[in-house]
Amino acid sequence: MTTTAGKGRASARLWTSVPWRALAPVVVLAALCIALGLAADNFATAGNFARIATSAAVPAVLATGVTLVILMGGIDLSVEGAMAVAAVVAALVLVAAPGALGAVAAAFAALAAGAALGAVSGAIHVGLRAPSFMVTLGTWFIGLGLAVWLVGGGTVSVRDSELRVLALVRLGGLPLSVWVALGTVLIAWVLQSRTRLGRALFAVGGGEDLAAQSGVPVGRVKVAAFALAGLCYGLGAVLAVAQLGQGNAEIGTGRLFAAVSAAVVGGTSLLGGHGGVLHSLVGVLVVVVLSNGMILLGVPPYLQQAVQGLLIIIAVAVSLDRRGQGLVK
Amino acid sequence: MLTAENLRKSYAGVEALRGVSFEVRPGEVVGLVGENGAGKSTLMRLLAGTQRPSGGRILRDGQPVSLASPRDANAMGIAMVFQEQSLILNLSVAENLFLGQDGEFVRHGLIDRRALRRAALHQLAKVGLDIDPDRRAGELSFAQRQMVELAKALALEDRVDRDLVILLDEPTSVLEQAEIDLLFSRVRDLQSRASFVFVSHRLDEVLAISDRVYVMRDGAVVAEAPASAVTPADLHQMMVGRGVRTEYYLESRQEPPRSDVALAVRGLGQQGAFRDVSFDLHRGEVLGLAGVIGSGREALIRVLFGFERPDAGGMEVEGQAYAPRSPADAVARGLGFVPSERRTEGLVMTLSLGANITLARIREAMTPWGLSRSKEQALARDWISRLGIRTPSADTPCRNLSGGNQQKVVLAKWRTAGSRVLILDHPTRGVDVGAKEEVFRLIRDLCDEGVAILLVADTLEETIGLSHRVLVMRDGAISAELPAPAGGKPEQVRIVEHMV
Amino acid sequence: MTLWRQVPGGLIRRRTLLQGMAGLAAVGAMGRPARAQDMPTLVNSIRSLSNPYHATWNQGGEAFAAAIGAPYVTLVTEGDSEKGIADIRAILQKTGGNAVINVDPNDAPDARPIVEACVQAGAHVLTQWNKPADLHPWDFNPNYVSHVSFDGVEYGGRTAQVLIDAIGGSGGIVALGGILSNTAAIDRRTGLEATLAANPNVELLDFQVADWQSGKAFDTTSAWLTRFGPDIKGIWAANDDMAIGALEALRAEGLQGQIPITGIDGIQTAVEAVRAGEMTATVFWDPFWQGAMGLSIPYHARTGTFDPAAEPPEHREFYGSATVVTTENAESFYAEHIAATPQLDFEDLWGRVSGQIRQS
Repeated sequence: MTTTAGKGRASARLWTSVPWRALAPVVVLAALCIALGLAADNFATAGNFARIATSAAVPAVLATGVTLVILMGGIDLSVEGAMAVAAVVAALVLVAAPGALGAVAAAFAALAAGAALGAVSGAIHVGLRAPSFMVTLGTWFIGLGLAVWLVGGGTVSVRDSELRVLALVRLGGLPLSVWVALGTVLIAWVLQSRTRLGRALFAVGGGEDLAAQSGVPVGRVKVAAFALAGLCYGLGAVLAVAQLGQGNAEIGTGRLFAAVSAAVVGGTSLLGGHGGVLHSLVGVLVVVVLSNGMILLGVPPYLQQAVQGLLIIIAVAVSLDRRGQGLVK
Repeated sequence: MLTAENLRKSYAGVEALRGVSFEVRPGEVVGLVGENGAGKSTLMRLLAGTQRPSGGRILRDGQPVSLASPRDANAMGIAMVFQEQSLILNLSVAENLFLGQDGEFVRHGLIDRRALRRAALHQLAKVGLDIDPDRRAGELSFAQRQMVELAKALALEDRVDRDLVILLDEPTSVLEQAEIDLLFSRVRDLQSRASFVFVSHRLDEVLAISDRVYVMRDGAVVAEAPASAVTPADLHQMMVGRGVRTEYYLESRQEPPRSDVALAVRGLGQQGAFRDVSFDLHRGEVLGLAGVIGSGREALIRVLFGFERPDAGGMEVEGQAYAPRSPADAVARGLGFVPSERRTEGLVMTLSLGANITLARIREAMTPWGLSRSKEQALARDWISRLGIRTPSADTPCRNLSGGNQQKVVLAKWRTAGSRVLILDHPTRGVDVGAKEEVFRLIRDLCDEGVAILLVADTLEETIGLSHRVLVMRDGAISAELPAPAGGKPEQVRIVEHMV
Repeated sequence: MTLWRQVPGGLIRRRTLLQGMAGLAAVGAMGRPARAQDMPTLVNSIRSLSNPYHATWNQGGEAFAAAIGAPYVTLVTEGDSEKGIADIRAILQKTGGNAVINVDPNDAPDARPIVEACVQAGAHVLTQWNKPADLHPWDFNPNYVSHVSFDGVEYGGRTAQVLIDAIGGSGGIVALGGILSNTAAIDRRTGLEATLAANPNVELLDFQVADWQSGKAFDTTSAWLTRFGPDIKGIWAANDDMAIGALEALRAEGLQGQIPITGIDGIQTAVEAVRAGEMTATVFWDPFWQGAMGLSIPYHARTGTFDPAAEPPEHREFYGSATVVTTENAESFYAEHIAATPQLDFEDLWGRVSGQIRQS
C-alpha cells in the first residue's frame, strides 16, 4: 500500500510541477484565437473583440459566483433561479422608480435579492447538512417560481431606463458592463487569494473536516460563499437587464450550463480546492470565443452544440486526472 | 500539567474508555501503548477536543477545562499531530501552519503574505525543516508533512501562555527509519518547550523516546512505569494481560498442513518494494507474514492478488503458472482476499446481512417465479447460525453489524465461493476480543477444509499463534523462515530480531 | 412526465364514470326551454391570470359573459395538468353539465380527458392551441364544437414578407430560430423558407438557433455583425424575445432602427419596439378574441344558433387569423388593443377562420 501511494504522490508532484498544465486553459484560448484569426478574416478586429467582451460580461460574472462555491467542493445550481428573481426585481423597481436614482435602487435591489437567495441556499446547506446539489436545485426553482409569480410569466420592458447606461455607454470602446464584469472578477480574485475568507474557501475545498479541526468556521464560510455567489448572480441579472432592456423569468435560461462549463473548462476542479476565478474568466473566454468563432465560420447550429459538448467532455477528462490525484491523498 | 481523571467514553452503549486517569507533567515525554482497541486513540481524541468524554474530567494545571473542539484544546495549549495527517494538501505550507489563525496577518482586510511567510519560516526553523513555505503541502513527503504538523502544533506557544502538550498519534507508522530518528531528535530538542504524549505500536520506540509509559487494555490504564524500568517484553505482557495464550489461537486445532502446494512463489520481485521472494504455501496451512511497515509485505500481497505486477520471478497456483493481470484473474484462479478496508472492499454495507451472504449464491434462492424471499431467508439463517454471527435478524444492514461480525460475513463469502488460497490482510483489525476468537475459529475451519492461508496480522502474537510457519521480511527480502507448529511456537523476540 | 400522468389516470376513469351519470341527469333537465336562470355557465380554463397574455384572454371572456348576461368562471391551471383537468370536472359536476367551456390545455394530452368529461357531462367545449393530432371535434358531435389554433407556417412566412418588403425586395438577411426540435420553431422556419423561395433576390446569409432566448440572440447577432457587417439588411426572428435580443445587440452598437427586425407573438416589449420604429413587425394572436370567441362559438352551438355536426371541417378545426403588427398599423393597433378595451362582434363566429388545420 505504502509503495503505491508513494508512486502516486511522486507522479502527482511531477504533474503539478509542470507549469504548462496550470496554464493549459490559457494555451487553449491563445491557440483558439490564433486558429480563428487565420480562419476568419474579421475575427481579429477591434470591433469583434469588443463584441466578444460584451458577450462575455454576463457569463464572467456568473462564472465568478459559481467558482466561489465550486472551490469549496460544492456546487451551485441556483444560477438561473437567482438571476430570474433578481432580474424581475430590478425591472419592477425600474418601472416603479424611473430616473438615475431608480436605476441605482434597482441594481441594489437585484444584488440584495441574489445575495438573499444565495444566503438561503447556504443556510439550508449548512443548517440541514443537505448536499449543496439538492439545496440549490431547490432554490433554483424557488427563484424561478418567485420571478414568475412577480410578473406572471410576462416580460417587463425597461427599454428607456437609466440602468441601460451599463450596456449603452462605452468607455475605451467597451460597454460599462464589461468593466463592471472585469472589476467583479478582480475583486473576487483579491478575495480569493488575499483574504481569510478566500483561504477558508480553499481549505474547505481541500478538506472540510481538517479545516474545521483547525478552527476554520466552516459553516459561516459556506453561507458567505453562497451569499457572495448569489450576489454575483444578482449582478449578472443587472447586466443582462441593462443589455436586453427587459426583465423576465427567462433571462437566466441556459446560463447555468454556460457558467459551470466555463469554470470547468478554465480548470477549476469540481472536487474543490483547485482553480479560481481567473481560471474561470479564461474558461468563459474560451467558451465565448468558440461560439463567436463558430458563427463567423458558419458552422451549422447542430454541430455548434456538439462542439460545445465536446469541449466540456475534454475539460472534464482533464479534471478527472486531478481526481486521481485527489484519491492518492 | 495535563491531567485526566476517571475519563469515560462510550459509543452507542459500548464502553471504549472505562475510567482512565492519566497525567502529563511539563517537559515530559509520556508513552502510551496498548493493543488495537485498547482505547489509546479514544483517549487522544478526548484530549485533543475532537470528541467529548461521557464522564470524568480533564484538568489543566489543576483547573477543570471543557474541550468542546480542537480550538478549545489549542487555547489550552494542547495540540495533536494526527495519525491520519491533517494538512490540507491544496494549501501552501504557510497557509496550513496558520489555518484558522490567519487573522493576525490581516492588514486592511487583506492577508499580508510577506508577514505570513516570515512567520512560517520562523515556525519551520523550530523543527529544523528547511522548505519553502509557499510550497503546497501535497508536494511534500510524509515525513516533511509530519514536521509541518509538528511546527503547526508548536506555533501554539506564541499564542498560549502556558506549557504545551503535543499529542503524537502513531507518528512513526508512515516514516522511514532515518525520518524516525530525525523526529525523535526533534522531540528531544523540543522537550524544553513542550511535553509530548507518544502513541505507538512499536514498543522499543516508545521506550526509547519516553520518560514514562502508560499501558492500556480494554479501555483502562493497567500499568504505569518509568521507561527505564521496563522492557518491551514487560510492556507486551501488560498489554496482552495474559501469559501464554495457546488456546486463544485454538492451537489444539492446528493440524499439520497437507503435502500438496497450493501457491508457489519463485524469485518474485518488484522494483523498490521487494526482491527475490520464494516460498511454498501448502493446502491447510497458515503462513504468517511478519515485518514492519515498509518491509515489503504489503506490496507482496498486492502482487499476489493481482493489484500490481511483479518485475521479476513467477508464481504457480496448484502447479499451473499464475500471472494475474487483475484481482478478477486472481479470483478466477481460486484466490480470495480479505482486505483490511472491509467497508469499501468486502461488503455492500447498505445491503442486509442476508443479501450480502446470498449475493454470490443468488441462484440457490431463485425459483421459476423469481427470487424467493423465504428461500433467501432460510439460506441466510443457515449461514448465520453456521458462522455464529450475532445479529438481530437477517434483514439487518451490514453497516449496523460489529466489525467482527462483518469480518465473519466476508470470510463466509469467500468460503462459500470455494476459494482455495486466501490472503488475509489484517483480518482482526477493529474487531472486538470476542469476535476475534470467532475469526480465529473460522481460520481453523478453513484450514481443515484444505484452504491455504497467507496471513498478515495486526500483532506478532497473532501471527505466531495462528501460523504453521512464519516468514519474516526485512527491507524487501525474506530474512527468516521460522516453523511454528502446535506446541512449538517461536518466541516473539526471535522474530523481532529478524524484523529490524 | 408521461409516467407521472398515467398513474392518476386510473383514478380519473372511475371519476369520469360518476360524472357521466351526473351528465345523464343534466340531459334530462335540458328538455325544458332555456330561461335566464338556465343560462350555461361560461368557463375559461387558462394557465395563469398573472401573465399578460392570459389576463387579456380573461378580459375577453368577461366581456362576452357581460354581453349575454351569463355566469362566468375562470379556471387557472398554474401549469399543472392535473389541476386543470380536476377543476374542469368539478365545474361540470357543479353545473350539472350546463356549461360552455373554452380551454387552453396545459399540455396536448390533457385535451382528451377534458373533452371526454365535457361530452359525458353534456357541456359544450372548444379547445385552443394544444390537442392530440388524432382527437377531432367531429368525433364528438355535438359537444366538442371546435378546435382553434394559429398557423406558424403562415405567420413565419408573412413576417418574412414584411421584412423583405422593408428592405426593398433584395439583399441579405439573417434568421434566428427557436429550439431545433420544437414544432412551432419548425413551422415558423418553414414559412420563412417558403417566402424566401418566392423572393429570389433575397439571400438568407445565415440561420442560427437561439433557443427562443433573447440573451443567445444578442450574442449571435453580435457575431453576425462581425461576420457580415453591413451586408445584413434585415433580421428575422421566430419569436419576439429573440427579436428583442437582436435589437439590443444592434443598439449596443448604435444601429437600432437601421436594420429591420421582425418577431412573432406580440409581447408588449415588441409592440413598443414596433411603435418606436426599431422593429418592423410582430404577430399578435389576439388573446381577447381567443377568450371571447372561444366561448361565443360553443355558446351559440349550445343555444342552437348552429348545429356543429352540420358545419364544414374548416369550422371545426381552424386556424384563427392573427394581426401582423407593422410600423403602419402599430399606432392604431396600440390604441385598439392595448390602450383601450378591444371591441368585438361576438356574433361573427367564423370571421377569423383562415382555413382548416393541416392534418399531419
